[in-house]
Amino acid sequence: MLVVFRPSEDAERMERLDLMAHMKQENVARVIDFLEENKSKDGEVSLTDVMHLAEVMSGSMFDFLSTVQPAVTEELTMIAREITRMKDEISNLRANDMTGHKIPDAGRELDAIVEATEDATNTIMEAAEEIMGADTSDPEAYQELVSNKMIGIFEACTFQDITGQRISKVVETLRFIDERVASFIERLRIPEDLDAVLEESEKEKRARELILHGPQMAGEGVSQDDIDAMMGGGQADIDKLFD
Amino acid sequence: MALDLQMPVLVVDDYKTMIRIIRNLLKQLGFEDIDDAADGTEALEKMKQRRYGLVISDWNMEPMTGYELLKQVRADGSLSKTPFIMVTAESKTENVIAAKKAGVNNYIVKPFNAQTLKGKIEAVFSD
Repeated sequence: MLVVFRPSEDAERMERLDLMAHMKQENVARVIDFLEENKSKDGEVSLTDVMHLAEVMSGSMFDFLSTVQPAVTEELTMIAREITRMKDEISNLRANDMTGHKIPDAGRELDAIVEATEDATNTIMEAAEEIMGADTSDPEAYQELVSNKMIGIFEACTFQDITGQRISKVVETLRFIDERVASFIERLRIPEDLDAVLEESEKEKRARELILHGPQMAGEGVSQDDIDAMMGGGQADIDKLFD
Repeated sequence: MALDLQMPVLVVDDYKTMIRIIRNLLKQLGFEDIDDAADGTEALEKMKQRRYGLVISDWNMEPMTGYELLKQVRADGSLSKTPFIMVTAESKTENVIAAKKAGVNNYIVKPFNAQTLKGKIEAVFSD
């Protein structure tokens, strides 16, 4: 919970400040009286005088502190409690684990997926290209070549199992981050409209101007049939898509 | 414009595997003269050096996208009539509309099959 002063608390503080001002005047008067009484001593100050002055001063400090301390202590306690709670929340966020391990690990998994799919695709395409370009005049040799290449294609397809497991790990990491960030936002009661307005980056500007959305999820983009209708038809066919 | 299997075709894609796939599909369709470029800039340079009968281009590439390439081709008097097919994963309506307005001859959304590619090429040359 953030420290927020309510109107009633503000009024209470004003009363305390008035009291402080009053106490201050009273104590200043006491110090003046003491000095007036002792000015005839012509610069000679005894230990008793010093003790008396200290007593007057400490009295004035006591009055001041007894007025101010409860309010300040209460507020400092609340702030300390908030700081402790925020430290706990930040600790629960496990930010170091995220940036030090989870996110770099997920990046490595994705790199490995790209590499594995590329290797498999190349192996499959090479096999297909060899079959396409093979000499068919010797049926036995051709059959042997096709069989060998087909086995190569099956072997290459095993990448799917490994990439599936890697993708699961990346999804798990994303879920971990999502859960902790969501919990952090909720516990700190950060309102949605508190998000800072970020300036459009060059990359975002390029994507907007050049209409770069990337692949769409199933059901989000237009189908090839819709595109065919748009390409073959006029504005009316395009308009239909917005109905 | 008649479909001529001897005409040079330019395939533009920043993903080598996709170039290889399209190249193989085109070979299966009977095309023999197939060239490629990794983005719009390289494609435009090649198009200024050689007259291609067909351009098959991806949309999302750097530094020059397929959309920018299409607009530049249409704006260039000597290249403006070149048949241009967009083959892309960009499947939002606004992309298709923008491409059509820019003068694309046909639009194929990825993933696609050989039959779709064949059909769209035939459609371009039957217009």
